[in-house]
Amino acid sequence: MPSLGCYDINDKSLVWADNVAHLYDEAVARQWSSARDIPWNQLKPQREDLEKAMCQVCTNLAEVEFVAGDMPAKWLWHINHDFHEVKCFLASQIFDEARHMEVFRKRALANGGGLLRSSPDSEQLLRVILEAPNFTTGSALMHILGEGFVLTLFRNGEMFALTPVEKKIFRLCMQDEARHVAYGTMHLKYFLEKHPEREEEIHEILSRGEEATFSLNQTQDTVEARAILAGGGLEHIEEGFQKLGYLFKKQINEYLYRLKMAGIERRSRLAIPFELPL
Amino acid sequence: MNLFPSVEFFEALRERANSDPERLRRLGTVDMTLVVKIDYPDRVECYEIVFAGYRCVRTRRIASPSNAARGAIVLEGPYAAWREMINNIVANGHADLEHTLNTLTLMDTPLHVDSDNQLDTDLFYRYQENLQEFFDGAAAIGAPFSASAAAHLQ
Repeated sequence: MPSLGCYDINDKSLVWADNVAHLYDEAVARQWSSARDIPWNQLKPQREDLEKAMCQVCTNLAEVEFVAGDMPAKWLWHINHDFHEVKCFLASQIFDEARHMEVFRKRALANGGGLLRSSPDSEQLLRVILEAPNFTTGSALMHILGEGFVLTLFRNGEMFALTPVEKKIFRLCMQDEARHVAYGTMHLKYFLEKHPEREEEIHEILSRGEEATFSLNQTQDTVEARAILAGGGLEHIEEGFQKLGYLFKKQINEYLYRLKMAGIERRSRLAIPFELPL
Repeated sequence: MNLFPSVEFFEALRERANSDPERLRRLGTVDMTLVVKIDYPDRVECYEIVFAGYRCVRTRRIASPSNAARGAIVLEGPYAAWREMINNIVANGHADLEHTLNTLTLMDTPLHVDSDNQLDTDLFYRYQENLQEFFDGAAAIGAPFSASAAAHLQ
């Protein structure tokens, strides 16, 4: 197929997923706007601990979403245009992530709390994703590991929303994120069916990503903010930590089930504990 | 009368969902089968709800989730939890902060989501806004509760 002198991903197995065309159609049918679809007029002043916690969570998510858009953008122009369904889907993902970055930034700034601390552990995980040696390893790290975990964070955010504003934000983001995870899972499945000899390469990159993800889950600012929201306030932070522990186990199990669907048995090789040592 | 739970109730939700095509187009397409499984101490009741494209195409009562279409996602919980959710929707016009589908299922109690594989379960997350709107339709149709079902709360 013509490479135009610039496309160097010309093998279908390196990008394809059997569900990608359907996912693209779904993406374009579900575009939303932070200006039009979020009921910002329903924001209310919150207790300082809750507002700061929500703003910290939104700050971290805005940071993460930058890379979630940068990763597909990094590889998009390498992919041969014969795989237009994949290119179109990745373009829709880039726009999804821009929208997520925008809406979390807006929420952090909208109610008095402001953008708060970024995390060195976030940066570590994000660097691993951006520096992945090829699209498939980057996709495994980002779509299955990273976005799988973030999907549960979005569900977490919806449950612990302070107002209908956050409820809507997290529910709409949840839909987008689940679409990205579905692509990553089925791409890895297709890739491994064609290249079973490269399974070890996937295990190695996942080990690195899992360690970075685990460090991120231990970051004080992030974890405490989520625990405050989960408990319903600083005075209930211990209860919040208990809930986060349950959600971490859920994240791990869903991650392992998605890998199993993709053809990777990872449970015995997981590089991190099954439970969060809080 | 659209007693909950009943075929008539879910049919009313289906008709209400399909009555505004423009709203459905804004929400996006859905392709999934959902089984509502209501647990009583002595029995279960199951209702299959099929979504395709921009429509809810079918609802019916089934004996068990194994009678549903392949790839169905089961949303299960005790009758009391379902009743509380429906009551909340009817009272508020929509689920409040504590009674959305995601809130009720995230910690796997009082409701939980199950399927044969994770990708099917993930459809519950991919179509969350549509599903929430579907059940929020109970506010428009009203939902008195059957005496026999309510007896289980005594």
